Amino acid sequence: MNKQMYDLCKWVLDTVSKAGAKDSRVGLSKSRLVEIQYRDKKPEIIKQATTLQMGIDLFVAGRYSSQNTCDLRKDALKEFISDAVSTTKLIAEDPYRTLPDPKYYKGRADIDLKIADASIDELSAEQEHTIVKAVEGAAWSAGGEKVVTVEAWFNDELSESVTLTSNGFSGDTRSTNFSAGASVSVRDDDDRRPIAYDYVDCHFHKKLGNPEVIGANAARKAMAKLGAKKIATATLPVIIENRNTHRIIGGFFDALDGRNIYRKQSFLADKMGQKIGSDKFVLVDDPFIPEGQGSWLYDGDGFAAKKRTIVEAGVLKDFYIEWYYSRKLGCEPTSGSTGNMVIPPGSRSVDEIIKDLGKGILVTDFLGGNSNPTTGDFSVGIFGQFFDGGKIVHPVSEMNIADNHLKFWHKLSECANDPWLYSDWRTPSMVFSDVVVSGV
Amino acid sequence: MDRIDRRTFLKATTAAGGAIVAAPVLFDGWLTFAGTERAGYFEKEFGITDSLCKKVLAKALSKGGDFADLYFEHTISNSLGLEDKKVDRASTSVNLGVGIRTVKGDQVGFGFTQELTEKSMIAAAAMAATIADGSATAVSGKFAAVKTDNYYPLTGTKPAPLTPRLSLVENTAGKCFARSNYIIKTIARFGDGRKRIMVVTSDGAKAEDLLPGSALSAMVTVEKDGRKEQFWFSRGGRRDFSYFTDDIAREVAEGVVDGAVTLLDAVVPPAGEMPVVFAPGTPGFLLHEAVGHGFEADFNRKKTSIYSTMMGQKVAEPMVTVVDDGTWPGARGSINFDDEGTPSQKTVLVENGILKSYLHDRISAKHYGLSSTGNGRRESYAHYPIPRMRNTYILPGPNKPQEIIESVKKGIYIQDVSNGQVNIGQGDFAFYVSRGRLIENGKLGALIKDVNIMGGGPKLLRDITMVADDLKLSWTGVHSCGKDGQWVPIDAGMPTMLVRSLTVGGTKKQGA
Repeated sequence: MNKQMYDLCKWVLDTVSKAGAKDSRVGLSKSRLVEIQYRDKKPEIIKQATTLQMGIDLFVAGRYSSQNTCDLRKDALKEFISDAVSTTKLIAEDPYRTLPDPKYYKGRADIDLKIADASIDELSAEQEHTIVKAVEGAAWSAGGEKVVTVEAWFNDELSESVTLTSNGFSGDTRSTNFSAGASVSVRDDDDRRPIAYDYVDCHFHKKLGNPEVIGANAARKAMAKLGAKKIATATLPVIIENRNTHRIIGGFFDALDGRNIYRKQSFLADKMGQKIGSDKFVLVDDPFIPEGQGSWLYDGDGFAAKKRTIVEAGVLKDFYIEWYYSRKLGCEPTSGSTGNMVIPPGSRSVDEIIKDLGKGILVTDFLGGNSNPTTGDFSVGIFGQFFDGGKIVHPVSEMNIADNHLKFWHKLSECANDPWLYSDWRTPSMVFSDVVVSGV
Repeated sequence: MDRIDRRTFLKATTAAGGAIVAAPVLFDGWLTFAGTERAGYFEKEFGITDSLCKKVLAKALSKGGDFADLYFEHTISNSLGLEDKKVDRASTSVNLGVGIRTVKGDQVGFGFTQELTEKSMIAAAAMAATIADGSATAVSGKFAAVKTDNYYPLTGTKPAPLTPRLSLVENTAGKCFARSNYIIKTIARFGDGRKRIMVVTSDGAKAEDLLPGSALSAMVTVEKDGRKEQFWFSRGGRRDFSYFTDDIAREVAEGVVDGAVTLLDAVVPPAGEMPVVFAPGTPGFLLHEAVGHGFEADFNRKKTSIYSTMMGQKVAEPMVTVVDDGTWPGARGSINFDDEGTPSQKTVLVENGILKSYLHDRISAKHYGLSSTGNGRRESYAHYPIPRMRNTYILPGPNKPQEIIESVKKGIYIQDVSNGQVNIGQGDFAFYVSRGRLIENGKLGALIKDVNIMGGGPKLLRDITMVADDLKLSWTGVHSCGKDGQWVPIDAGMPTMLVRSLTVGGTKKQGA
């Protein structure tokens, strides 16, 4: 644990107590980031800085407030805390606002999640620039004369956090993150300039892999968008590419949130134990995956992490209920935080599935759209590839899919064998049958 | 590349103690700045003198570069939230720091620090300087104050205390419940903040400002015969508390309840291409997204915008004039000067159908050999400025709203939109319609909801065939625009307007 951060949090806890708050939670996060971006074969942006941010939850005479500040001078903090406690006393009582029962803090796993790369400080500026140049160079080479411009980047970040509560919780995290990527703009025959990107996000520098592959993939994806057009509105099978499935699942997820359930804004509130999707719909939240982008040992309430099955064979098994809303709902809390969201992969590749389906749309990007957590209705713009006769025919743009989640997940017919591992959404490409795709 | 030593930084930050005089804030249950004067704050409260600025700027230009700038910020934001008929949550957020930028051509070196000490600022400036590799560039000997009008004057020197704010939120929720028996949940929120900034540039400009922002919002869930719907509504802008009268509370309550209740009878419209009429006001956010972003000069300088070869060309019919206006009094996107110190202005982007200007920051202005249009904006001291919109709208046209609706045989009428996105290069956009009506034989018909509409930005501009005389801004007071990971406050608006054809993303085919 970072002793300086711990000492400051402890001092704040004590100061809050002296100011008259019965209980409090103090979190201090520190992040040092480096961003390097190239365009047209020269650095466009070089950015480096360290940020500190403190959050304080106050529980004062049955009342609650949350405070944030980056002004961590002790004199300023002391005054800030005193004022915050006074403000909290003026708002209405809320009997449901308390720190969690400490029994939920217990059972924290004693494992190394492998999310911190000890070698982050060994990476020189020269090495960082070399990575970006390699990404950019590969994109130009793969895209050829169709390329308008390439933006390539490398970021690294070291994050540390300490959280303490007045009722005994103590936790700290340290993680690193490395990201390399490129976005490539290409010129179409009608002067439209489609852009595509590729990237890798990971906790360990060495897991970035070959930067040239990233640049070349970005260029290949951009070239695949050339000549895009829309097709007539039709009901077709749709394959959603692995890295983008979270845009659809996100709308489903909002309805699992205890806050939305309490606020009567969840179309899933009364669906526990019911069939809400096809047998193929399986969703597991696993916060313990080594090197996972969503791996953690405790959540925002301090609850010890647990692996949970959210949907099993299309049956809804669990919600996301944080401590506060569990008390308002009168139910047992689960957790308000998500870890690594895993949808198990299937056995066939996307190419094999396309051959088998014959005709449909492979969705490679979404545009805009929204989902209504109260009703489950959603509507979202899509980009992708129209396939027919088992082969890609042409790219599509300016099209849309719309449905209701309570119907849509019954249309899930297959998962491909390609789970995306660079995100906390570790999902494979997913196939949905009979989807209305709006176009001409 | 120079690096800031992390351990040293933490130690300095947490142990600074009384090295800096604590900034004066008023506390009457509501944390905010004392005073409403725009100039002198950072020197008085943090000891940021011209000579210190010059020293830091000199460090930022120690390896050359065209210019450097410093962006000091101290922001205090508060909010109150109501759930279950009582205000049972409050929050306060304080942000303090300085961003230091060195610019060489179109290259940017950037560092920032949350500690306003000479040592920390010099370290951040040294980081910014690494973008250049030549000999030092001179810094102006004097900094002249940037003079502008004030587009968001505050009504008093002392902000209102907490108690009337609590009453406002409770009053709004009470009006909601009184308006409909279908309400099963009401959530209300009041938030406001004040941001003090100071921009100091190596070429001798010094601009200081105090920017207010506040909004009252409510969300309700209604239920009828087992069907539930939700709706959200807000009012606000660059206002102080005096704006939030009982009439505003009533407007918010009526807006949110009536919106939710009408959705109880709404359907998802058929899919396909059809004419679209936009109501005045909030649908202006679609204009911001579908058209405005493509006019931001960085996308054009980099040739990634589809508009990069269209300057001076006809892009719309003659009745269409599009402006981005930072001077509308009290509007959320208004600024006295931008975050590079350039005075705000009303920029005509499309005049009578002809593309006249992009939205420029200093880098793009130099690239094109023009003056900045005052659109260099940033989220905070932790970000460098880029071209951003302010309040974007279409000027009133020759038609009447009713004649526009009557001109459509079969289409949709869009009243409220929630969010959208644009693909700059292709020009494609998508926008989510939260409320609207079908148009059948020139009359407003069934209510519609929850549908995405899509199109191409340039085609949308070309396809505007009628514009009415009823321009409105949204005045939601809460909308921000995201770009490159930065969010800045904006507003948008439009008059009633007809677009010949857009793709409506419904769940059924037309006629099915």
